[in-house]
Amino acid sequence: MKKIVSLLLAALLLVAMFSGASALADEKRVVKVASWDVYSTAANYHAAIKDGFEAVYPDIEIEWVDLASQDYKTLATSMLSAGDQTDVYIVKEITDLQKWADQGFLVSLDDLVAADDYNLSNYAGMDEMCRVADGTLDALPFRSDFWVLYYNKTLFDAAGIAYPTNDMTWEEYADLAKAMTSGEGIDKIYGTHYHTWLSAVVDWAVCGVDYTLADGNYDNLKYFYELYQDLEDAGACMEYGELRASGQHYTSAFYQGNIAMLPMGSWLIGTLIQEKANGTFDFDWSFASVPHMDGVAAKSSFGNMTAISISQNAANPEDAWTFIKWLAGEEGAKALAAVGTRPAYVSDAVAATYASVEGFPNDATALDALVPSSVSLEWPPGELVPQLQTVVNEEHTGIMSREYTIDEGIEYMNERAAEIIGE
Amino acid sequence: MAQNSQAAPRRRMSKLQRKNTLIAYSFLAPNFIGFIIITMAPILFSIVLSFINWNGGVLENMSWAGLDNFREIFTNFNFKRSDLGITLKNTVLYALATVPLTIVFALSFAMLLNKAVKGASFFRFVFFFPYVASIVAVCACWNYLLMKYGIVNTFLNSIGFNFTKSWTQSRSLAMWALIIVAVWRGAGYYMIMYIAGLQNIPNELYEAATVDGAKAFQKFWKITLPMLTPTTFFVTIMTTIQCFKVFDTVVLMTEGGPGRATKMLVNYIFDLSFNQIKYGVASAVAMVLFVVVLLITIFQFRAEKKWVNYF
Repeated sequence: MKKIVSLLLAALLLVAMFSGASALADEKRVVKVASWDVYSTAANYHAAIKDGFEAVYPDIEIEWVDLASQDYKTLATSMLSAGDQTDVYIVKEITDLQKWADQGFLVSLDDLVAADDYNLSNYAGMDEMCRVADGTLDALPFRSDFWVLYYNKTLFDAAGIAYPTNDMTWEEYADLAKAMTSGEGIDKIYGTHYHTWLSAVVDWAVCGVDYTLADGNYDNLKYFYELYQDLEDAGACMEYGELRASGQHYTSAFYQGNIAMLPMGSWLIGTLIQEKANGTFDFDWSFASVPHMDGVAAKSSFGNMTAISISQNAANPEDAWTFIKWLAGEEGAKALAAVGTRPAYVSDAVAATYASVEGFPNDATALDALVPSSVSLEWPPGELVPQLQTVVNEEHTGIMSREYTIDEGIEYMNERAAEIIGE
Repeated sequence: MAQNSQAAPRRRMSKLQRKNTLIAYSFLAPNFIGFIIITMAPILFSIVLSFINWNGGVLENMSWAGLDNFREIFTNFNFKRSDLGITLKNTVLYALATVPLTIVFALSFAMLLNKAVKGASFFRFVFFFPYVASIVAVCACWNYLLMKYGIVNTFLNSIGFNFTKSWTQSRSLAMWALIIVAVWRGAGYYMIMYIAGLQNIPNELYEAATVDGAKAFQKFWKITLPMLTPTTFFVTIMTTIQCFKVFDTVVLMTEGGPGRATKMLVNYIFDLSFNQIKYGVASAVAMVLFVVVLLITIFQFRAEKKWVNYF
């Protein structure tokens, strides 16, 4: 009797195993994609991408590998060098592309593009930035963000002051920030807000001019450090030291509703739309072009491109190509635009989708600001750029916390950059 | 059996002995295999890497660099300008302040809580808690305490000082912020060691001293401290090594700033390897760190004979 029971059990087990195996065979093919903020509203396009793609390719499943936003570069680089089989990596900062390419981490896309006759003409030239030093195409442009000036309409209305325009000089902007500043304690209203990053404070120096942060000379930053310190002294923005010590995020600062203006990247548009819908804040907001220097064309901005690439160790490179082709193309662009994220792919249809998102600020200024006159790269790709970034960011903290004067800080930047470039 | 093996020490192992040895090894094996794979191999790899030019990726990218990596970090070496000089100086200063302060506080807490004070175990828990608390939460709290208008500055200003900056944003105070957190965090842990040490001191010594008319301070100086030297020796070595490995609090509180005022050796290594992706150069700095810690430890062990009493 016992024997019969155990035989039956064994048979059952076998059946179970085989049914399990057949279920495996039916399972979708998986493309693993490394990204950041997958489950956070800070990057709300992940669900849209997954749903959009899987609707067109029902036999392929997108599986996100969620890495911490701040450490994305570090974690992704470690995974790539360790031979992790994740198929697709989003290149968060285009400066990383060259590093990754140098190390042979990425699949060259030239053959795939040629084989599929894939059209690269809709990226407004950004595909050129995805070509690494030896001329091969190692990634496709996917998102393209540039900096705009967000503002709290409710505060401007209450103060009876006209909204920012798309053609302001930095002086006009500073005056406006001071005019919008009022109150003390819990009634305090800040005219503007600078996040602690280098880019939020001084990267304006690269807008619309023939100058990059990789040139090794940082004298051009002086104007913007002075502008910042003047605003800080006037109490028109929160103090850098306090922001650093408290680690406050720019979104949580802006949501409080006591900040009139906020220069920030266009990635924030989607987040603001969603958070307003969620009821996180209830004021009206819109955006304008960032101010410009005297003698520089209005609507000049700087920005960054986010690209998408296939790992040399991809477990499923064929489907990975299908995926990135879709994401970087018109369909993917529409999926991104539909949730307020600015895709790299440019076409009228995509622009219309982008501006028609519910909650998108539909005033003429904002729609006009969507088309900048020029977008300079925050940091151009280059071999020495990671070292220069370290130096400039370190000295930035010294200047911003006023541990040395602007002139001293810039001199340190120049000296240390010269050492790196001279090596 | 024991006598037999003593009589013929050179004899081949008996079957039983061999079996016992194998059993012993098999019990050691899991730990040892883990140690070799997880600890030893990366250390050896790092030593090799410091002589190799490698920016990650496939192994074919490696090329022999000889001493190039060391040359790169020692070029223009000085304590004011070069990254290695500054981070080395910062780390040493940090250790010089943190080690003695940790010992003083740990010993003081231990002396206070060793006696049958009411609620001693509660206070032991209170002092030990920082050691097990999440470092991220702890640093966030300290950041708030040490802010421009934080509790610490408000208190200090009320008694006549004039602190006008967040500690972590000042070149002179940022280092102290890190030291305070390190001492606050480590003192409770080493307090436990000191309590164990104190309880090992035979009571007869104190009784004899009382009979001879020794005062409390004399007892502390002539009995407690000398009897605790093995503990102090251990605590010194452990805190020194920990100081040279400091990384987490720096990232969470100052990010090495302002400027490079609190950039430590490990932060430098991290920056080289994961921001600049120069694994070879980063390993060379790691070797410098290794040699420095090794030299200090050797020195401490040498000095041990002079001041540590084992009883």
